Amino acid sequence: MIEQLPVLLFLVPFVTAVSLPIVGSKYVSWCRPLTIGSVSLMSILAIVNLVTVLARGEIRYVFGGWAVPLGIEWVDDGLAAVVILTVSLLAVISLTYGEGDPGAARQRSPALYFTLILLLISALTGIVLAADLFNVFVFLEVAALTSYALVGAAGGRALVSAFRYLILGSFGATLYLLGVSYLYVATGTLNMADMATRLPALMTSSSVVSGLIFLFLGLSIKMALIPLHGWLPDAYSDAPSAISPILASSVTKVALVAWLRIMFSVVGPSAEVGHVPVIVLLDVLGITAAVAGGVLALAQVEIKRMFAYGGISHIGLVLIGVSMGNATGFAGGLFYLINDAVMQAALFILAGASLHYYGARTLDDLKAVRERSPWMTGALVVAAMSMIGLPPTGGFFGKWNIVLGALQAESYGAVIAVLLSTLLTLAYFVKLLGSLFWRAPSPTDRRLEIPKTLSVSLGALAAAMIGLGLMSDPIVGFFRDFAQRGGL
Amino acid sequence: MADLLEALLHRPNFVVFVTLFVWGVYIMLIHPNFVKKLIGLYIVQTSVIFFLVAFSAKSDATVPILPPETTSVEVARYANPLPHVLTLTAIVVQVATLGVSLALVSAIYRKYGSLEEDEVLKRIE
Repeated sequence: MIEQLPVLLFLVPFVTAVSLPIVGSKYVSWCRPLTIGSVSLMSILAIVNLVTVLARGEIRYVFGGWAVPLGIEWVDDGLAAVVILTVSLLAVISLTYGEGDPGAARQRSPALYFTLILLLISALTGIVLAADLFNVFVFLEVAALTSYALVGAAGGRALVSAFRYLILGSFGATLYLLGVSYLYVATGTLNMADMATRLPALMTSSSVVSGLIFLFLGLSIKMALIPLHGWLPDAYSDAPSAISPILASSVTKVALVAWLRIMFSVVGPSAEVGHVPVIVLLDVLGITAAVAGGVLALAQVEIKRMFAYGGISHIGLVLIGVSMGNATGFAGGLFYLINDAVMQAALFILAGASLHYYGARTLDDLKAVRERSPWMTGALVVAAMSMIGLPPTGGFFGKWNIVLGALQAESYGAVIAVLLSTLLTLAYFVKLLGSLFWRAPSPTDRRLEIPKTLSVSLGALAAAMIGLGLMSDPIVGFFRDFAQRGGL
Repeated sequence: MADLLEALLHRPNFVVFVTLFVWGVYIMLIHPNFVKKLIGLYIVQTSVIFFLVAFSAKSDATVPILPPETTSVEVARYANPLPHVLTLTAIVVQVATLGVSLALVSAIYRKYGSLEEDEVLKRIE
């Protein structure tokens, strides 16, 4: 039973997704409970999976009994287990929030809407687990197609945003496929472990180098790495409010995880392209993204777009961490990735709720709000602390380890970039909180009551942000072990 | 220069692939019409599939199916089936993408009554 866990993690949401259109067309009110139930079951399995992986080491699953490298293999290691647990728990929380969101209730066919969400979650699980380059491509495309449809589900302006997302996303996927074909031509294999043994001898071949570049370009579009981030702000700010938290907390992060897997278990951290170490190139891209994302976020007046650019800048921070070439930076980067997923979910839930309950889309709208909810304000303050990186939230420990790793690698540009992006984050949150507390409280102000589902999801996320901070030591230690076993 | 030309002439498949790819990207970037953008995307995707097919071609090779009475296998006589399977999967993905994108385009047309990007953007304001 235990060795079937990786596939069960994928099958639980997938089977529900496939059966939902049949069940849901007759019993419309069952759709949401079934979806939440299935994702909760998946989270429980993810916890079991994490415990198993911690106790026994990685699980390698071979499909249909066909031995690698001919068969397709899934590798369920520590990183995969943690990312799947994060994705599934955040999906449960975001779905709980969606309960009270009026946008979701307006959907003409709830069964199909929830089918798309479940397909997205199962495809993300597939991306994280797959140890086969072509398998990753297929899951990337399933995840991308469902995201396009979910963004477009809001109708109106979102249709155009979804279309642009589709054009860029499909172009990225095509580049990825091209990269995979180049690597296949050069090595004759698609299995990651098998390719890892053949690549080092071929790193001077121009087809391998260009294949890796295409592969990276394709995944950078998917992870919205500056300057290929164009699709993200529109797509996430126009998507239905109940959808943005799910997308923002998972899609770009999982694409980044896919790249890390290729970078560190296939290419190897010490690889060089034309005498320039690959990780130095990543470092430069990360610095650019971290700083430029922060500047762009500061320039926004719309709340959702500000958070979207914040997420883009954090992708840069994670890249800085993992490209330091030492275990501390790598662990800090991965820990920050998990934190970023939680923060993005919290911020987009807050943005969706403020649009609905405060009627505030922009910072100026916030100034006019007269009835505030203490739950929302509290969660925003915790999220702001974590985004800026104040102890005891998880954001602080992530940045701390990234900076420690950068100091150890004597990469002072990276240290400055992390500090600069922290200052920029501080600046845009001061702007945001300044708008929220624009007026002095007056006796006529009333407390706004929000639905239970919203306060529960906000409470859970705020607890997670602080909990990650308090638990940072074992988690970072776990990632450091993972990195050291990977040869860092 | 002559060397480069000669190298290109020896690889007509790859010249076709690069031409299709660049042409598709050009249409995708330049054309303001949503459907034409999709056509550009489709050409880009097809060029990659063409590339997969082109490199898996093998002269004097047959389909990799072994009749039960086969005793010895000469690898050189069979084509590698994997690139073709990849091609099939990539085509399926491409068709699914096309389906979703056409659904989006038709929804945009129903909502805004135009397929020209600048026209639609004007009506959104």
